[in-house]
Amino acid sequence: MSLAIETEKLTKAYGRKARGIEDVDLAVEEGEVFGFLGPNGAGKTTTVRTLLGFLRPTGGRGEVFGLDIRRESVEIRARVGNLPGEFALEDKMTGEGLLKYFARLRGVRDLGYAHELSERLGAELHRPMRRLSRGNKQKVGLVQAMFHRPPLLMLDEPTGGLDPLVQEEFLDIIEEVKAEGRTVFFSSHNLAEVERVCDRVGIIRGGRLAAVETTETLVDKSFRHVVLTFAEDVDKEPFEALSGLRDLRGEGKRISFTLYDDLDEMVKLAAGHTLVNMEFERPSLEEVFLTYYERENGDGR
Amino acid sequence: MSMSLNRGEKERHTARPVGTLLALVSHTARMQFRSVIIWGAALGLYSAAMVASFTAIEGSAAQLNQLMEAYPKGMLEAFGVTDLGDPANYLHSQVFGLAPLALSFFPILALAGAIAGAEERGTIDVLLGNPLPRWQLVAGNFVAVAISLLEICAVVGLLTWGTAVLMDVELSVREVADAVLNLWPICIVFGALALFCSALFHRRSLAIAIPAFLLFGMYLMDTIGRASEDLEDWRPYSVFKYYGSAIENGIDWTHFGSITLAALVLTLLAALVFRRRDIYT
Repeated sequence: MSLAIETEKLTKAYGRKARGIEDVDLAVEEGEVFGFLGPNGAGKTTTVRTLLGFLRPTGGRGEVFGLDIRRESVEIRARVGNLPGEFALEDKMTGEGLLKYFARLRGVRDLGYAHELSERLGAELHRPMRRLSRGNKQKVGLVQAMFHRPPLLMLDEPTGGLDPLVQEEFLDIIEEVKAEGRTVFFSSHNLAEVERVCDRVGIIRGGRLAAVETTETLVDKSFRHVVLTFAEDVDKEPFEALSGLRDLRGEGKRISFTLYDDLDEMVKLAAGHTLVNMEFERPSLEEVFLTYYERENGDGR
Repeated sequence: MSMSLNRGEKERHTARPVGTLLALVSHTARMQFRSVIIWGAALGLYSAAMVASFTAIEGSAAQLNQLMEAYPKGMLEAFGVTDLGDPANYLHSQVFGLAPLALSFFPILALAGAIAGAEERGTIDVLLGNPLPRWQLVAGNFVAVAISLLEICAVVGLLTWGTAVLMDVELSVREVADAVLNLWPICIVFGALALFCSALFHRRSLAIAIPAFLLFGMYLMDTIGRASEDLEDWRPYSVFKYYGSAIENGIDWTHFGSITLAALVLTLLAALVFRRRDIYT
C-alpha cells in the first residue's frame, strides 16, 4: 500500500521562543482518513505547513505522494486541497470569484462539483468575504479545498464555526471522499467527529508525535470505566491494591473504578465474590486524549 | 480500499507554471482596477486643473517670469522652473516634477501588501495552497502592478491631453505621452523596492516605510543638489537625477532602461529572498 504522507524525524525549530516540531515520524496511507490531534501550540499547524512547503524543515525529511517537501512543494500542492487553520480571504472577494480564480490556477474548467459542495454546505458564494460570518467563511474555505477533487485533503480544524447540521454534512462528504479512495489528513479539537470518520489517529504533544494508532486501538488500549455489582456487600480495599486502578468508589454491593492495566487480575479478584453484573464502558476519544495530556503535565498516572 | 493515483489523476493534478502566472497576473490586475481609476482620476484631475490654470497665467507669463527672476536662481533650478510661459515647463514644474512623490505610493502600497501584507492578513496560505511557485507570486504581482501603473499613467495622460485640447493649450500628444510614460520607471522602482522589503521582512509597515523614506530622501537629495553646488556630487545617488523633464526634452531611453533594469533586479532579489524563507501567518 503506497503512502500519501511519509515523514522521518521531521523537525522544524523556530528558535528559542517558540516550539516547533521535533522528530515527527508519520506514515499516512493512501485512502485513509487520518486524524491529527493536539491542543493549540502542540505542532499540528506547523506539521501541515511544513508538509506544504510554507515552512522550511530544520531537520529530517518528508514526502507527499513520494514528492520531496523541500524540492517539490509545487507538485505537492497540485495534489492537495488545503484548508488553513486561520482561513482568511481578501475582504472584497466573493466565494464565486475565489473559486473561479483558483479553478484557473488549477486548470479546472468545470465548477459543477464546487457548486454541488456549496449547496450541500450552504456556502454563500455571492457575498464579499467581509460580509460573511466566521461559519460562512469556513464553508467557502471547505469548498475551495475540495472542489478540485484532490487526492489528498489537508484540513486544519475544518468544522470550526460550523453549526451541527453542516458539521454532519461535512462528515458525510469526508466519508464520500474516503469511499473514492482519496486521503484525508485533518486536525481537530472535536474528538467526536475524529472518532466517527478517522481510521487512524496521531496525537502530537509538545511538538513530538506521542502516539499513532487506529482510532479503535487507541481507545481499546487506554483504560476502561468498570462497574461491578455483587450479590452481597464487598470490601473495596483488596481492589485498591490492583495495579493501574484509579478513582475507586464503593458502596455496599457496588464498586466502580477506572482500570488502566490488564483486566485479568481484576477479574480474578472479582471472581472471589458472587458477581451479579460487570459493566465495561469504553472511554471516549476525548478522555483518551486528555489522559495523554495529563501524563505530560505529570498529574496523571 | 485504497488506490494509488492513476495516470489520468496524476496529469489532472500537475502544476501548470504558465497558466498559474497568467491567472495570477490577470486576477491581481483586475483586483487593482478600482485603485487604477481612483489614482488615475485623482492625479489626472490635478494635472487637468494645472493645464486649465495655465490659460489663466498664459497672458501674464512675461510678468510672472520677471517676478521669478527675483527668486534665487538655485531655487528655480531646484524646482525646474525656466519659463512659465511654456506649457511644457509649467506642467513639469507644477505636475510632473512632483508626481513621482505621490504616484510611487501606488506600487509601494500594492507590492508591500503582496507578501508581508498577505502574511499579516493571513491570506497567503490560501493562495499558496494552490500549485503556485513562490517566484510567480513575486513576479506576478510585479507584472500586475506594472500594468496597473501603466494604466494610471494612461488615465493621467488622457485627462491632461484632453484638457489641453479643450482649453486650447499648446501641448502635443507626444509631449504628454513622454511625460506620463516617464513616470512609470521611477515609480515602479520604488514599488520593486517595497516588494523586496516585503519578501525580506515579515512586516508590511517596514516594506512601506523603507521605500517611502528613500523616495523622499532621494527627492530632497536631488532638489537640494540642483540648488547647491556643494551638494551636487550627491545627485548621482538619487534616482531623480535620471528622471529629467520628459515633457520638455523627451524620454532619455538610457535612463528609462537603467531605472527599469534596477526595478527588475530588485524583483529578482525579492524572488530569491522569498524562495528561501519561512512564510508566517
